[in-house]
Parts: sequence; C-alpha cells; structure tokens
Amino acid sequence: MSSNIEHKILDSSVSFNSRALSVFNFQRTNNPIYRTFCEVFGIKENLHSEQDISHIPLIPIRVFKERAIKSFQGAPDVIFQSSGTSNMERSEHHLKSADLYRTVIEKEFYRYFPKDKTTVLCYTPGYAENSHSSLIWMLNHLIEQDPTGLSRFLPLGKPLKKDLFLELDNEHRNVILFGAAFGLMDLIDLHSDSLPETVQIIETGGMKTHRRAITKSELRGSLSDGFKIPLKQIHSEYGMCELLSQSYAIGGEWFQPPEWVKIIIRDPKNPERSCPPGEEGKIGIIDLANLYSCSFILTDDRGVMNENGMFKVLGRWNDNDLRGCNFLVEQEVE
Amino acid sequence: MIADTTHIKKVADAVQSWLQPDNNSLKQAIDRTVDEKLFSFHDIKHQILHLKNSLTEENLKKWVEHSGAPLPFSSDKTVLCLHAGNLPLVGLQDLLAVTLTGLNYRGKLSRKDPWLLPTLIQTLDEQGVPGERNYSTKLQDFRDQQSDAVIFAGSEESVTEVIHSLQNYGIADENTPRLMRTAHYSIAYITDHSERTMKDLTEAVFRYGGTGCRSVGIVVAPFSLNSQKCHFTDYVESFWLKNPQHNNPENDLFYRYATNKAVGIEQAWLDNFLIEETDKRPEDRFILHWIKGDEKTLLDIVNKYSNGLQSVYTSSGILPQSLFDRTEFEIDELWKAQKPDIWWKPDGVDTIEWLSKRFNSFGKAS
Repeated sequence: MSSNIEHKILDSSVSFNSRALSVFNFQRTNNPIYRTFCEVFGIKENLHSEQDISHIPLIPIRVFKERAIKSFQGAPDVIFQSSGTSNMERSEHHLKSADLYRTVIEKEFYRYFPKDKTTVLCYTPGYAENSHSSLIWMLNHLIEQDPTGLSRFLPLGKPLKKDLFLELDNEHRNVILFGAAFGLMDLIDLHSDSLPETVQIIETGGMKTHRRAITKSELRGSLSDGFKIPLKQIHSEYGMCELLSQSYAIGGEWFQPPEWVKIIIRDPKNPERSCPPGEEGKIGIIDLANLYSCSFILTDDRGVMNENGMFKVLGRWNDNDLRGCNFLVEQEVE
Repeated sequence: MIADTTHIKKVADAVQSWLQPDNNSLKQAIDRTVDEKLFSFHDIKHQILHLKNSLTEENLKKWVEHSGAPLPFSSDKTVLCLHAGNLPLVGLQDLLAVTLTGLNYRGKLSRKDPWLLPTLIQTLDEQGVPGERNYSTKLQDFRDQQSDAVIFAGSEESVTEVIHSLQNYGIADENTPRLMRTAHYSIAYITDHSERTMKDLTEAVFRYGGTGCRSVGIVVAPFSLNSQKCHFTDYVESFWLKNPQHNNPENDLFYRYATNKAVGIEQAWLDNFLIEETDKRPEDRFILHWIKGDEKTLLDIVNKYSNGLQSVYTSSGILPQSLFDRTEFEIDELWKAQKPDIWWKPDGVDTIEWLSKRFNSFGKAS
C-alpha cells in the first residue's frame, strides 16, 4: 500500500483532490494521533473519492513539538529538528525515508534553477549549529548535486568579496546566494562587495533580525540596495522542519506552491473556516510529501492567498485574544 | 513628613459618596455598560461591592503608610494613565494613587470601559478633592499636552509603538518617566481540595472570564487534574450559574481541545473554558494550566515563567521559605485574587511609592 501511494502523491496526472483523499485515508489509518484529532471533528471513517478535501481538519503545527508524528512503524531514517534556543520547545519531524525528501527538493528547486547550470553558495548562521536542521540537510543535498564542486557553505562572519565570484563566472555558472534573511543582512553590514549582476539571491525567511522585525518588502529592498542587484533576482523560499516541501517566490513576494501542495488560508478564530482570496489568516498547508508524518497542517504563520492559489507570508500570527490588559494597550493608542 | 490625613479623608469621603446606592450617575453608568455589553452586570456588581468594602478611609491611610510616601505633593505635575482594561474599573487604583499624591490626573480611558470611571472623577471634582483631572477615550484629545509621567500596562514589544503614538501627539517622549506593567497572569498553589479552596480557586480563575493579571492562569496542586476534574467542575458550573461568562471563546479553543486530545494531554473541556494539564506559560484566554506538583514544582514554575507573573496565591497567603525573598511578584491569599487590597502592587510596584520617588527626585515634593 505505502509504496503505491508514494508513487501516486507526485503523479500530476491524478487530480490533487484524489491524491489528497488517498493520503488522508492512509494517514487516518496509520497515524493514531491524526486519527484521534479527526474523530473529535466527527470523521470516524475513511473518506470517499468524491468527497471535498476542504473539510479535512488541519492539525496545528505544534503537535510536532508535543509528539512524534508518524504514519509508519519502526525507526525513522532521519529526524529533523527545528532551530531555537535551549529554552524553546523544538519540533521534530520523523522521516521514514530521506528518499522522498530528496525527490521533492530536487523536483521543485530545479524547476526554477536548472540542475546542470546552477551553483549554490549558502550562508546560514543560526542554522549551522543545528545538526538536525532540515534546511542544512537540503542545502547539503543541493551542494552534493553540483558536479563542479563549486557549490558550498560560505564561512560565517566574513564579507563577500568580488574574487569569490570570478571563478564561478569563468565556469559560466548561474550563481545562487542562498541564505537566512538575517544572515544576508549581516553580510551587507559586514561591508560585502556588490554582487555581480547575474547573481540571484534566495532568502529563507527569518525576518526578525537582531535589531527589529522587518517586512518582506523592506527586506527585499534592503537586499537589493545592499548587494546592488535588481529586485527581480531576489527570491524567497518558504519551508520548515515540519514540512518536506518548499515553495518559492520568484522575483517577488507571492509564493507558488509545488504541484503536490495546496495552500488554504484558515480563519484563526475558527480554523474550520477557509478564508477567501484576499483575506488574511493562518496559513494551512496540505503537503502530500508529508506522507509518513501528517500532510494536513495548520501553521502559525500569517498569510493571504490570491485567486491563482499563490500566497504571501506576512509573518507570525499575533493573537489578539491574549490574556492580560497589557496586550490591549496597542489597540488603545491607535 | 507624614501623610496629610485631611487630604486622605477628603478622598475617602468622595469615594464613599460615589459608592452610595443612590448615586444615579454610577447607576446610569452601570446600566449603560451592561446595555452596551461591555461587561456583565455580575462582574460589575462584584467589583463595586468589593470596592465598597475596601475603599475605606482607614485602608487609604494604610496604603499611603505602606508606600512610605510623604503626601500630598504640592505639585503641578501631570500623570498620564493609559487604561487598557478587560475588567470593569481597571484604572481605578491608578486614579486614586495619582489623586492621593496630589498630582494631576490625565486619563486615557479604555474604550471598553468608558462610563464607570468618569462618575468617580466627577464626584472627586464635585467634592473639591485637590488636583486637576481630565479624561478621554481618545488619545488625540490630549494632543500637545505634555505629561510628566506615564503609567500603562504593556509588553516589551508594545513600548515602541506606545511611545511612538505619545510622541506623535506631543504627549510624552522617550525620556518621560514611565511605569509599565507587563504581568498578565497569576499562579495558585493549593494543597487540598476542600470546599473553601475549590470555591476560592474557581473565583480566582473564572471571574472576569479569566482575564486580568490577578486571575489565575496556572494551578500547582499535589493531585492531578484527572483526580479532581469532576469535583472542580461542579464548583465551576455552580459559579457560572450565578455569574454567566460574559465573553465566550471562539472555535479555536475547540481546536486546541482536539489537538490536546490527539496528543494525549489530560484536560477538562468546559465548552467556554479549557483546563489542561500542561506546563506552559499562560498566554491565551480561556485556558487554565494545571500542574501536578509540590513546593519544588512551584519554585521551578515561578522561575521558569516569572516574566509576566503578577501574584502567587496560597490558602494562607504564605509561601515556602525558598520563595520568601522574591519581590518581583506578590504573595497573597487565594480568596483575595479578585478582591485585592487597595495597596496591591501591579508588577510588584506600589504606584504611590513610584510616583513619590519619581517626583521627589525632581525636588517637587512638598
């Protein structure tokens, strides 16, 4: 059963609805935590092929901090852990096999950046210390795929200098500078040289810098000004430890999910309700690549969708319904 | 110099006059607040009855003595109080603190509580209590009226925005002395499940829908939630029969219940409230965290979640030796959670003492 469904999830000739229902039934059967969650919402049996997936409950992402979310028996091949300080609860993602992760990384990344021409330079302070980081794992994999051996992690705390790019230029490689948002800002502060005009940047989020939180738009502007490259060459990646798939926003702020991922914006006050395009809410994700954990996830990120199924990430969802008078003061001084 | 008892008496007389049953202004303000569904009648009644008992001349004197402040100042300084409250008359203590010190009060009233406090201000004015007082629910009404100190409840994250707004209106700047409170929950440490304890705990948790920094967000008890679930919820149901919860949670609370159930967290689902056996910082409304443990557990919890903690309650108002020397939070009796002494210290700071120190340092105290 599982190998059949593993092939099916990335088969775009089958409708997304049909694949999602298969995955739902698989996980309801094999994942006791998700099964119990669904039962509370009255779903006590498998769903049929004609049923609407919009009624499938999305489990809050915090469950990855509470328990091992597995739809398989036995020991995992890999365990990813989210980054954070020692006092923070960290998420864990147990992978039955890393093969599926490799497949989805390559399928989506090389859709935008051709495998035979791309060299990736990675700058990831904050992640480097986390040996269980899914981001580091992904970047390592992309580095390994570059037959020229030019892809690599850049040393931390050192500014980028022009000569770094000379060799890459000679090899006629498409260079991607892939980094954590705050790390890239630090590179600018370290007085890095302007980047050659052909270099592209992918920032992976983490907009809260050591100084203050900035918007995606401000971040993109700062990266463009700081590295002297046009905005259209600044891209974003949306991914996290709890999700095996990544979405990319190419030259702008709108992310295009992979073909096997569906984004649904949910009302934070009533997560059973889907928000129409244009209405902000919490980002819900159906990621079929999460076959062996849980594919139906409600994140704590704030987002909005457009009519084409693309989405923007607007930061973390700040709950206005917190206890205590001190959370009301901002409303009072507006 | 000792406190001027004439001044205190004047304030106390005005307050008692305000609390008289024939005070039509207050009655109308209560009716309007209830009509506009800002607070429930039961919660307002609870607050008013408590104030009637606690705002005596003797208690006001005690408060001034507690703070050790020489009062009143003969000062022309003005204190801006930003009241952001989710329980009725939340700004009353600040109004009285400013009035007792003889400073001028400028109140930015909570939009959620615009009717009740003005009736007290009106009475203080009518009875000639010294000090100028003015108020509004709109900050912009104080445009270009510089304040000499600001008192508000906020979070570290909100400071920049608050100061920015005050600067924009020319009311205060980043150098203006400010007393900011960040506490937003309290802890109850109980050692038995007697009727008295359970009733006090219920009041401490569920009054005002569980909002406010004095409300209990964490219970530490030597027994599990599961062992007392039915017993405790009987008291809660009885409380709600007399005090129906004014605001109810959204569907996201049910989502939390479903998630807890999925991951096997022990909990009690009360439709409008969730009690869960989890060791977490209390941030969300309508949730009580129950932690099974002893004094050592309490000490661990206090250390872990001290940021945001207002008070620790016990049945006796006494804490284990290991917590005695703590000053950043208050220690109080459980029954006083929603019936605090007038001298209770938000965030562990006596407001009169703070004002006194602040204005003494400017050499303005008489």
